[in-house]
Amino acid sequence: MARLAFLLLILAWSGFAGARALQLDLGRLTHPVFVIDGLRVRLGDEGEAAELAIERFAIGKRDWQNVTIRCPAFRFERAVVRCRRGMLTVPGLFERATIDLHFDTRNKSGELNLRMPGREAINIVMRPDGRIVASLAGFAVARLGELLDLASWNAAGRLVGRIEYSPTRDGARIRVSGKLEGGGFTQADGLRAAEGLGLDIDLGARRGPTGWDWQGRVAWNAGEAYLHPLYLVAGPAVEAAGRLEAEVLTVARARLELEGVRTIAANAEIGLQPLVVRSLAFSVADADLAVVGPRYLAPAFAPAVTDQLRFSGHVSAAATLEEGVPTAVDLAFDEAGFSLSNKELSFGPLTGVMPWRAKARTEARLAVGGGRWQKLALGAFELVARLDGQGVDVDHVAIPVLDGALVLERLALARDAAGWHGSGAAVVEPISMALLAEAVGLPAMSGVLTASLPGLRVAPGEVSLDGALVISVFDGYLQATRLQLFEPFGVASHLYADVQARHLDLAQLTEAFSFGSVSGFVDADVLGLELARWRPVRFDARVISSPGNYPRRISQRAVQNISALGGPGAVAALQRGLLGLFETFGYREIGISCVLRDGVCRMDGLDDRIAPGDGYYIVRGGGIPALNVIGYNRRVDWNELIDRLQRVIASNAPLVIQ
Amino acid sequence: MNAMTNAMTNAMTNAMTKFRGWIAVLLLGFAGLVLAQGNIEIDTPAIAALKQSMQQRHAKLAPLYASGAVGLAADGNVALRDASGVPLAQRGQANALVAAENADRAALYREIARANGHPEWEADVRATFARRWIDRAQPGWWIQRDGNWVRK
Repeated sequence: MARLAFLLLILAWSGFAGARALQLDLGRLTHPVFVIDGLRVRLGDEGEAAELAIERFAIGKRDWQNVTIRCPAFRFERAVVRCRRGMLTVPGLFERATIDLHFDTRNKSGELNLRMPGREAINIVMRPDGRIVASLAGFAVARLGELLDLASWNAAGRLVGRIEYSPTRDGARIRVSGKLEGGGFTQADGLRAAEGLGLDIDLGARRGPTGWDWQGRVAWNAGEAYLHPLYLVAGPAVEAAGRLEAEVLTVARARLELEGVRTIAANAEIGLQPLVVRSLAFSVADADLAVVGPRYLAPAFAPAVTDQLRFSGHVSAAATLEEGVPTAVDLAFDEAGFSLSNKELSFGPLTGVMPWRAKARTEARLAVGGGRWQKLALGAFELVARLDGQGVDVDHVAIPVLDGALVLERLALARDAAGWHGSGAAVVEPISMALLAEAVGLPAMSGVLTASLPGLRVAPGEVSLDGALVISVFDGYLQATRLQLFEPFGVASHLYADVQARHLDLAQLTEAFSFGSVSGFVDADVLGLELARWRPVRFDARVISSPGNYPRRISQRAVQNISALGGPGAVAALQRGLLGLFETFGYREIGISCVLRDGVCRMDGLDDRIAPGDGYYIVRGGGIPALNVIGYNRRVDWNELIDRLQRVIASNAPLVIQ
Repeated sequence: MNAMTNAMTNAMTNAMTKFRGWIAVLLLGFAGLVLAQGNIEIDTPAIAALKQSMQQRHAKLAPLYASGAVGLAADGNVALRDASGVPLAQRGQANALVAAENADRAALYREIARANGHPEWEADVRATFARRWIDRAQPGWWIQRDGNWVRK
């Protein structure tokens, strides 16, 4: 300070001297808020004009080089410096700003007015007691980019407000209040951006011996933002308090007001050089999933199906992150519900807790009120799962399905970059076919469905089930093995299986499907069955009379239906007359096969004899009266065949015998 | 959302004519190409469903390719590389499109490997497709080469 006084003395002397074109090198000027280095004053010929050049102007760790003030009307009288209609240039911050100032060097008080084009103005009043009050009008936020090292954010907008600095006995106090209007920012990749931002800002800070204690409230009242992958709109407000010390911003407590959530509380430690969130902990109380699900959860965790996911109920959550990596998450669901693809798969209401730790085992307990898979309603069940890092283990869960249950056992799943992998076992406890048929819209039938699938394996886009699914039905059984489900949740969802049916009672089968009446039994093999979205697209199927002795009769209507399925000419022409004479006919054997490829069924019948006219026997007659049914169409469009079958089943029209 | 849909629909009125041909050529142009031992052109109902789904989505993705918002990545995926040209309210939808496209692409690569009877070929199928998507990209689209985005 002694040096400063000396320099000012020289300045004072020079001012009174009224010398011609005098240049003074004044060295360094210090203030608790700023430092000026290399201050040089050049006075004009008559002492009217002056140019102040500053080599370095610093506030905190931020500094600017080559600052100049050109004053056409400069006065230094009675220790008061005055500059009117001057021009200030701070490279990178102010270019050619109009400046008016007066500064009393005795008590370091004064006033500075800066005006920039576009009604941008700064007024700074320095009081003798050390207080500084800065009023901003239309202040361009872009200038803060230089000030706060945030140039890559391309900040925009105007600030209106007041900054008040007051020295205290042991430090200082700052209060900032104001509004941001028309604000925005964008990073080069567009993944963090905002437009039309309006903020109400109220901040206060007190500097002590070691740092700043601060608190404040910022309310977002206008505009929109995209913070990848979330789109956000005005409404939230945050209240926070903490400390700033040695380039570390500590948020001791923050409270966020957000639509759809009762409370969000957080604390964090943020490194400012470089800007990095070192630790973050937050809790969310009573989030309304119908609000936060589509806005925040789906875009963040399931962006590919955002428009297919539906949420209901509430969730509370707490999480901690260290260096950006989650270390603990706790979720508590309250009557929560989730559904995918218009309720194709849904679960809920779901209540319970799901704790997770990055480096410890935890146990999740959920009570699921029910669910739905396609047309099947699922009952209530309890799920207990052990969570361990990226892994989930479930010892046993029984999901009620109609009067039975799907039981999953020893399920061990782990997630990596490609998706879920794992293994386990599945059992289907008996489900009555009467209820299942009714649920999925099949004709009424009796029997039960069970499954024992000891080898369940999960890989990305794939679930395979070693074992057998068995349906006892129509006095026989139907068994599906080598079950594989691919891409279960996408458009390419498809299922493979080999199906064998043995000793199905044709009387019950044909009655169930209103197909006429046939007595006897059949075996069927459907190998390489592929269902795409539950519709068969490929198989090698063969149906043939079961071996053994049993009555074999076929009704007139069933014959007609079979012939209708086979298309014109399915019944040998010579026998058509016979068809009208009897209600039922004896038969020796029934056999039909279909190899489905590319929408076409290549058909064949009983394989030991070619029927007249290159036909194939579907029903070979036997007993009295006997009648053969012969197929002639060997390539039948599958969709057309299904249409015919549905028409036959639906039709109660009397038979027309030709 | 409606505005975006309309904008995209309008944009696609012109763009579809141009790009429909492209996607057809791209998807069908693999005819005759083979992996080391397999057929990358193999067709199954699941593959057909995936191609149809991708083709439908292409109507929405094409303007994003053309504007450079979305680029063709070197790993066989698409990526939101510069969203700054997309209105803020539609960036989430653009990201959802990218995620859905990548889910279909992953399923397509798996399914082609499976249909060849060699699920373990998935990475090879993906690498082959990645090269082809980039080779057949329209001039002006952004592609990833040696880790950098370049305009074709």
